[in-house]
Amino acid sequence: MKVSLPSIAAIATIAISGSATADLLDDVISSGTLRCAVVLDFPPMGSRDADNNPQGFDVDYCNDLAKALGVEAEVVETTFPERIPALVSGQVDVAVASTSDTLERAKTVGFTIPYYAFENAVVANEGVEMADWEGMKGKTVGATAGTYEAIWLEGKVKEWGEGEFRPYQNQADVFLALSQGQLDATVSTVEVAEANVESGKFPGIKIVDKAPMVPDYVALITLREEQGLINYMNLFINQQVRTGRYAELYKKWVGDGEPADLTIPGVYR
Amino acid sequence: MFDTALTANDFIFLAKGAGMTIFVTAISVFFGTILGIVFGVIRYQLGPFWSAPLMFVLDIFRSIPLLIQLVLTYAFLGTVLRLGMSGLTVACIVLTLYTSAYCAEIVRGGIEAVPLTLRRAARSLGMTWAQDMRSIVLPLATRVALPSWIGLALGVMKDSALVYVVQVTELLKSTQILITRLQEPLLLLMICGAFYFVISFPVARFGGYLEKRWSND
Repeated sequence: MKVSLPSIAAIATIAISGSATADLLDDVISSGTLRCAVVLDFPPMGSRDADNNPQGFDVDYCNDLAKALGVEAEVVETTFPERIPALVSGQVDVAVASTSDTLERAKTVGFTIPYYAFENAVVANEGVEMADWEGMKGKTVGATAGTYEAIWLEGKVKEWGEGEFRPYQNQADVFLALSQGQLDATVSTVEVAEANVESGKFPGIKIVDKAPMVPDYVALITLREEQGLINYMNLFINQQVRTGRYAELYKKWVGDGEPADLTIPGVYR
Repeated sequence: MFDTALTANDFIFLAKGAGMTIFVTAISVFFGTILGIVFGVIRYQLGPFWSAPLMFVLDIFRSIPLLIQLVLTYAFLGTVLRLGMSGLTVACIVLTLYTSAYCAEIVRGGIEAVPLTLRRAARSLGMTWAQDMRSIVLPLATRVALPSWIGLALGVMKDSALVYVVQVTELLKSTQILITRLQEPLLLLMICGAFYFVISFPVARFGGYLEKRWSND
C-alpha cells in the first residue's frame, strides 16, 4: 500500500491535535479528583472543625462541584496570596476561595460568574429605635478606621449633616462600644455581624438591615484558557442557585436571612 | 496558660503530623545515604576532574534552598510532565536527593581520612579493591563520618518541615493548622518543639553511644 507523505502528515497532525484537545475539564474527569484551593482561616467560608477537617461554605461548594463532575473532591489549603500561584503552578485545578473578581486578576486567571457576594449589614444597639439603614441618620455611628465600611459611613454622616462618626482601632472595639451603648449603630460584613451576634460576646446588639453598598462579588477561578471548565462552572453556579442549594448553604454557614442577589441590575452577566 | 481549648483529638492530630515527619525523614535519610555512598565513592575513585559533572549536579542540590527545589520539582512534574505524582512522593524524591548531595561529601571525607599508607599495605597483602574497601576503608571511614552523618540526619528531619509546600501535612503544618483554629500560638509551638525534641534526642544519643563504643575497641 502506498501512503503519500501528505496523508501521513495529516494523520500526525490529527494525532497531535487530538491529544492537545483534552482540556482541564477532561483531565479532571479522567483523573477522578478535583483539587480545589480553599482558604481555611476565613470563617464561615473556610475553617476547620474540632477534628481539624476542612469545613465551611467554600468547602461545601467544592464538594458539590466535585459531585456534579462525578469525581472526588480534594481540598488543598492555601492562603489568600497563594491562591493564584497554586493555580498557575498546577497544584490545584480550581480555587473556591472567595476570590473577588477584579479586572487586574482577570489578566492572569479565568473567572466564572459570581458564586457569592459579601454584603454589609447595619448592626444597632437593641435600645435604639431603627427600622432600616436610613435610621442611622442623626445617630452616633462608628467603624474600624480606614476600612471600606468606615469610609462609606463617614461619607454618609457628612452627607446627612447630623449625627457623629467615631473611628475605632479594631472590629472588636467597635462591637464592644456598640454593646455598651457608646455607639448606636455600625456597619460590618453580614458574616462578621452574624458571627458576633451569634457568639453572645456582645449582648444587646441586633442586625437591622443590609447597607446599600456595592457588594464584594466573589467568583470561582481556574486557568484563564480553560473555557470548557469555566463554562461548566458557570452552569454549576446557576444550578446551585436554581436548586436552592445556595440558600441552603447560606443558612447553614452564615445565618438566617436572604443570601445576596448574584445578579447586577442593568447589565448582562 | 493552662486554660486551653486543646483536646485529645488535637494531640492525635499532632502525633499524626509527627508520624509523617518521621516517615519522610526515614525514607529520605535511608535512600539518601545509599545514594550518597554511591556518589561519594564515585567522587573519590574518579578524582576531581572526571567527577566534576556529578559534583556540579550535587552542588545544585546543596546550593538552592530546599523550599525552591520542592516547589519547582512539584510544578515541573505536575504541569510539564503531567505525571500526577502525590506531594508525598515529590517530597521524598527531593529530600532524598538533597540528603544524598550532603552525604556524598561526608562519605568522600570519610574515605580520605583513611591513611593511604594503610590502604597500600592492604593492597600489597593481596587484597582486592573490594576487600580493601570493605575491610579497611568501611570500618575506619564510618567512625570518622558518623558524627557528621548524625548531624545530617537531624538536619534533614528539621528541614522536612518545608514539605508542607507540596501539601504534605507534617508536624509543623499540623501545628499551624491548630494555631489557626485555636489561636494559641505559644502553647502549640512549645508542644511542637517538644515533639521535635522527642524525635531527635534518641537519635543524637544513639549517635553518641555508637561513637563512644567504637572509639574503645
